Amino acid sequence: MSKPSSFSLRGRKALVAIKDERDAIIVRRQFERLGIDIVIWDGGATIDCRPDVTLIDDEFLPLTSPAQRASLGRSPVIALLGTETPSRLKLVLDLDPASFLVKPLRSAGIYAALVLAFERRERTNELKQQVVKLERRLRSRRVVLAAVLQVMHTHALAEPAAFALIRRAAMEQRKTIEELSAEITAKGSLPRAAG
Amino acid sequence: MTKPSIPVGIICSQHGPYQAMGREILKSAMMAVDEINEQDEFDFSISAHVRDPRGIISEYHTVCDDLIRNVGVEHIIGCYTSASRKQVLPIVERTDRLLWYPARYEGFECSDNVIYVGASPNHNVLPLVRYVLDNLSREIFCVGSNYVWTWETNRVTRELVTAARGKILAERLLELGESAVTHIVDEIVRRRPPVVFNTLVGSSSYDFIRALHAATLAAGLDIPMLSCSLCEPELKIAGPASAGCITSSAYFESIRLPENQAFVARWKARHGEHSSPSVDGQSAYVAVYLLARALQRAGTSDIGEVRRAAAGYRYNSPQGPVWIDGSNNHCVLTPRLAVSNAEGQFDIFWEAEAPVRPDPYLTQLDIAASPARDGTLPNAPHLRVVK
Repeated sequence: MSKPSSFSLRGRKALVAIKDERDAIIVRRQFERLGIDIVIWDGGATIDCRPDVTLIDDEFLPLTSPAQRASLGRSPVIALLGTETPSRLKLVLDLDPASFLVKPLRSAGIYAALVLAFERRERTNELKQQVVKLERRLRSRRVVLAAVLQVMHTHALAEPAAFALIRRAAMEQRKTIEELSAEITAKGSLPRAAG
Repeated sequence: MTKPSIPVGIICSQHGPYQAMGREILKSAMMAVDEINEQDEFDFSISAHVRDPRGIISEYHTVCDDLIRNVGVEHIIGCYTSASRKQVLPIVERTDRLLWYPARYEGFECSDNVIYVGASPNHNVLPLVRYVLDNLSREIFCVGSNYVWTWETNRVTRELVTAARGKILAERLLELGESAVTHIVDEIVRRRPPVVFNTLVGSSSYDFIRALHAATLAAGLDIPMLSCSLCEPELKIAGPASAGCITSSAYFESIRLPENQAFVARWKARHGEHSSPSVDGQSAYVAVYLLARALQRAGTSDIGEVRRAAAGYRYNSPQGPVWIDGSNNHCVLTPRLAVSNAEGQFDIFWEAEAPVRPDPYLTQLDIAASPARDGTLPNAPHLRVVK
């Protein structure tokens, strides 16, 4: 299934925690126009839904319960700012917000804040996956180095040629360089030279 | 007894690059004001205060501020481009006034201080692009004025075309009022795209239409042009070169409704037998009537009361029945497709079966849906004129 576009918001679910009734009316009306379902949260201990996005008034901060913080961390957060003082911004930063709106709210800006929040979360997730992949490759660097040294020694090759040999063998055997290097160092077996 | 007078601001540029459209909006709005002031149906008269920002974007803020501060208007009719609407929006919101905006626009806005009387994107660009994809081509060459109308229209077009596995061949932009179109015309003749989507505004559009027509004629090419804004007065300005343009609009002079035939007759009696109303002008006429009826029903000019009175009120306008969707302040209206002819008119070949709710954020848009599949648009390879 293809992932939803950040520009299309119909059918998404939002957790909304807003103190001021006027701001709440504006959010409800704009979300209805955008086809977004709303779950109201009054700051109580439990959050018993899995929203796609959370709008939280800075008047609800700080969140004291670890369970609340964990729940909010599962979806992008849009912070509603009443003041720009560093002390208040520090509390907001603890939520790692993907976007923000300044109170008092108006209908203009809400759509943009939502789109930015969804897109920011999407890109952050992609970056996290990239980091995990790079960390895995970094950890295996030592194994690859050991395999290259072994091939250099047994085949009397220079380092570039030894690495090229391992890479070609990995491609032929449909394995990653890291996997083949692990086999070389574990079994002492050398990759077969291609044709 | 003299009826009390309600001041209403009218902002439209009668000079500058899109002066023709500004003048059309003014003519239509004043026609409605004069009609309303002569009718016993209304227990007030409208005092129109006209301002001309001359197409200078910063002037819109100035004239709007003047109307609110010095004249004391609560209701303003006008603005043509989205750039001009965005200029007055902060003032009308801050002072809690109501702008009645007549032009079709690109959507993605929903201010409580604006009544959007013109077509939303689901009324104009969607039917046009889907018709083209099903009947003409999956490859489109886009030419437009460099501002938000073109940017967003092109984005929606690209999404629809890409979903249909088609291709946007090019997006060429000109500054508002720019008349140097030769390089784009040369490129079109060289590349021979199946269709050209023209979102140019005002004089740039007329220059482009004439230049492209001459160049394609010389090269023996027949490249259909698409538009979401071209109207009868513009066909007259651009001349015979404008024939054959496939246009999406809620209003054409050729609509065969008694309300429109009466409107056109009044228009011609006022402005001459050879003149024609335009889509945005007719929309300004509708805006004045929607405002007047809402004022009458509300019994006050307070904008909250007027907005509530306007919501859902059905008006049998020249373009057919219209009403304001109270959930988003946009107009429910009937989309149509037509092709321009050599007489400076449009031959309508499709219209929606019923008025269509506005979808300013395109939340109901199913990119993959085809009009041929949902049965709302013609999928015949040839155009058919609706009589």
